[in-house]
Amino acid sequence: MISAGIDLGAKTTKVVILADNKIVSQCLELTGIDQAQTAEKALSNALEKANLSRDAVNFIVATGVGRNAVSFANKEISDVAADARGIIYLLPDARTVIDIGAEEGRAIKCFADGRVQDFAINEKCAAGAGTFVETMARALEVDVEEFGKMSLRSTNTIAMNAQCTVFAESEVVSLVHAKTAKEDISKAIHDAIASRIISMVRRVGVEEKIAVIGGVAKNPGFIDSLKRGLEINEILIPDEPEFTGALGAALTKA
Amino acid sequence: MSNTVYKTEPLKSWEKAKELRLQYYKNYAEAKDKGGIRWAGGAWTFDAIPAGLGNDVHSLTSEPYAASIAFNKELSLKCLEAVESKGWARDICAYIRNYWGSVIRNEYAFGGPFPVPDFIFQDHICCSHAKWYQVVRHLEGDIPMFCVDISVGPYHELNDSRLDYVTGQLMDGIEWMEKVTGRTYNDEKLFEAIYDECRTTSVWAEVCCLNKHVPAPLDEKTMYSLYVLATLNKHGKEIADYYEELRDEVKDRIARGIAAIPEEKCRLITDTQPPWGFLNVYRHLEKYGAVSVGSLYVFGLEGIWEEQEDGSWGPRRTPQQLGITFKNREEAVRFYADWNLSKPQWQHFYDPMLKVEMMKRIYKEWKLNGIILHYNRGCEGLSVGIAETRLGLIKAGIPVMTYEGNMGDEREFDETKTFARIDAFMESLSLK
Amino acid sequence: MIDIFKDWYEHRHDYAKEWKKRTKGEVVGYFCTYAPEEIMYAAGILPVRILGSHEPQDVTEPHIFGMFCPFCRDCLAQGLKGRFDYLGGIMLSQSCLHLRQSYTSWQINIPVPFSYYLPMPHGVQSKRAYKYLRNELETFKKAVEKWLGKEIKDEDIDRAIEIYNKNRQLLHKLYALRKSSKVPLSGMEAMYVTITSQMVDKAEHNEMLEKYINTLTDRDVTNDRVRLIFVGSEDDDIEFIKMVESLPAIVVVDEHCTGSRYFWNEVKQDDDRLMAIAARYIDRPACPAKDWPELTRLDHIVNLVKDYNVQGAVLIQQKFCDPHEFDMPVIEKKLKEMGIPSYNIEFDVTVPIGQFKIRIEAFLEMLRADELF
Repeated sequence: MISAGIDLGAKTTKVVILADNKIVSQCLELTGIDQAQTAEKALSNALEKANLSRDAVNFIVATGVGRNAVSFANKEISDVAADARGIIYLLPDARTVIDIGAEEGRAIKCFADGRVQDFAINEKCAAGAGTFVETMARALEVDVEEFGKMSLRSTNTIAMNAQCTVFAESEVVSLVHAKTAKEDISKAIHDAIASRIISMVRRVGVEEKIAVIGGVAKNPGFIDSLKRGLEINEILIPDEPEFTGALGAALTKA
Repeated sequence: MSNTVYKTEPLKSWEKAKELRLQYYKNYAEAKDKGGIRWAGGAWTFDAIPAGLGNDVHSLTSEPYAASIAFNKELSLKCLEAVESKGWARDICAYIRNYWGSVIRNEYAFGGPFPVPDFIFQDHICCSHAKWYQVVRHLEGDIPMFCVDISVGPYHELNDSRLDYVTGQLMDGIEWMEKVTGRTYNDEKLFEAIYDECRTTSVWAEVCCLNKHVPAPLDEKTMYSLYVLATLNKHGKEIADYYEELRDEVKDRIARGIAAIPEEKCRLITDTQPPWGFLNVYRHLEKYGAVSVGSLYVFGLEGIWEEQEDGSWGPRRTPQQLGITFKNREEAVRFYADWNLSKPQWQHFYDPMLKVEMMKRIYKEWKLNGIILHYNRGCEGLSVGIAETRLGLIKAGIPVMTYEGNMGDEREFDETKTFARIDAFMESLSLK
Repeated sequence: MIDIFKDWYEHRHDYAKEWKKRTKGEVVGYFCTYAPEEIMYAAGILPVRILGSHEPQDVTEPHIFGMFCPFCRDCLAQGLKGRFDYLGGIMLSQSCLHLRQSYTSWQINIPVPFSYYLPMPHGVQSKRAYKYLRNELETFKKAVEKWLGKEIKDEDIDRAIEIYNKNRQLLHKLYALRKSSKVPLSGMEAMYVTITSQMVDKAEHNEMLEKYINTLTDRDVTNDRVRLIFVGSEDDDIEFIKMVESLPAIVVVDEHCTGSRYFWNEVKQDDDRLMAIAARYIDRPACPAKDWPELTRLDHIVNLVKDYNVQGAVLIQQKFCDPHEFDMPVIEKKLKEMGIPSYNIEFDVTVPIGQFKIRIEAFLEMLRADELF
């Protein structure tokens, strides 16, 4: 039995192919302007990798913001359901998933079988999402990867007052002018984002273990802030966190 | 504008104000140890009413308590986050989020666990007031709560029916209090408390009036530390006595030419509560020789005023000054309700133009050069109508500056930009 | 048939202007549903609720500080844009602070011959509120009489009460049909009906509503969808409810001031007519701003959930609405205890339909998780 999951995101499109619920292939493409075409391309690349023909696929489930564009899908499910389903497959001990994409942060509490127990999504505000990290890195004139690492080298805790992207940017600039160490500023920023996310996680209820997926999962500074804020020692991160949603879709009953 | 340099000196009675404040928080925390009663309510509540239950009855007022938390940035952030984690929105009244945070974390800002009150006695004019404590009950278990609706329209339109409504509720409140505490109510103690409260709030208005003098003997930042006593326990004899002492000292400062700041070149007032974590805004003003001599907030939140014979604004005459002695409970409560309903800071709730009129009067009588409005995201009640207030002041030809912030949630305040705005405003007043 | 209500909703101003021309009567805009409409109606006035238009606008910024709710700004925008230029008067029955500003700014910037602030009590749970409001209604009645230069007679008030009660009974009848497992009308259709009752002459509304109810026999639009309740603040957002019902969901009841809270209880006729009206407004399902010390809304919501066999709740609030924000976590908890999952949505003047659709879909999936496994 062959199933395919397609996660058509704002930035990238991911495909996971399962044979009897085992991953046989996955593929990631940049989402072009023509979403339908991107979906088509990502699927055929993934099938090629697995040496499978299109006819061999029993069913296809789409997720992600552009899921409506996947006209050949047999079913569509939301990112929330897909994340929960995918994470339990990858990390069966996870009960809370934090997914931080470019413009949206989510906290999902799941049951052991991958069903969604409760979830929260941040409001229309970039302060709890990946774009905030990028904006702040830019204000500090360091690249995003270095920005995450330097947070770990901070020796002082300073508080960021502002938590709105615009306010925070001007505050960062003032801190730079005041000759505050970039490491300390980086940590303060990560703490500020983490605190927004943590409030959201606490709303659905913290239940260990906690997994983080989405682009920000690869930022060690953020993960460190999250651990300190939640007062936990362990945070699970799948090897390839970006495929969690597509995997969850592929696991869904058509 | 003059270039005179005035003498300045710290207030002699400053230490006493600090002591009174700390003693208040201690009294509340320790009330139960001595078999007393603890109750909670807002800074505007009719706190003379519970005084009839005895001398060992101590309150915790929410706003100044929350402001104390907001002043401690680290604690404040923890409190705010604790509240958000429980699902309450970030834009709810910032005072009560600090207060709830302290309850949720079970951490009293003055040390030890949070001392739970025996009952809640609140008043309601802002949409949040009664709701604050409804949530407190939700968090702390069913604490008995009584709340008085005072939203009966502006004082100049007060009539018998409206006064009956407020008086009636206060009378009900007394009966309710007897029931929940099991104590017998003492009307004599009530009368004393009302006399003292009238003295406190009238003398405070007198102190504020002394700031009409040039140079101003007090600046607003200092006044915050003084007016706060009335937000804690305005019916307290010790507060009324202290204000009389303070008034005499301020008079003496004027006589000796003592000013709040050395170079008074520009006189201002502000509006709404300041961002408590950032009182350095006032220090920044001083760099330009600008002094805030008060605000409608600091004058009218706990000061009770009336028009004087010469048409100027001054302290309302107390029952003692009018030769009124209360003969029975209802008469006292009715007077007390009327006294509070004349509170300047309650008028703008019905119409922003009432605030404009009061500010125009302050502008003139306190000899101001401009007004700074704090668009305060933390307080719906004092920010209500503030945009129309701005337009009204501009129309009256008064220079106005606005800045956005939050009295109790520093995450909504941009220090750099605010200072830049002040710089521009000072420039426009030719002070640069 | 629903098209008549839809047409009223979409052309509310044309309706009011036409009504004015036809009857030579005055139209008064009110801002909050605590307005004692019976008294105005008895005087031959058409009371219309001032609502927003759900369009982005840039006219209110100088008048209302951005921390206040989008709804109060949208309402004021309608006045500033001249859409209500036919109003002879405006009135506010003391509401939340947010909406109060629409009224005060209107009074300052768009003067009309009659403007009245009625200090409706907030302390509706105090027994003292009845007599107080009764007296306020008397003062209001006198002000209306003075403005119009005519007396409002007892029989006028009786007639107004009768027509208003009739409307409430009919709306109840309409809502009750939605308790059935075969729901004969969508939530959107119900919204058109209740909202327009705040816009058109009640006598006319009654007539249409009676006919409309008769067309619903044997109709069933349920289509195996999840039964939802909408709980919260002002909501006349047709786009949003339409989107929700395009998914496998049907809104079977609401707890909004634009919906059930508006019409839920009747005036109990009494010789002291003003006291009867006062009691009606004091005893109605409360707005959260007036719902204290006890949170009586909870019982109302619990009853609706039970009576309408609700499976999930969407908790809706205008952005920055403190009174609703105080209640939301408490309501959420209560519903959870009843086994009813809920999802919070914050409304702005316009809502991001795409984003909200994703959220509602995820919520509905959570309710129907079995279908994914």
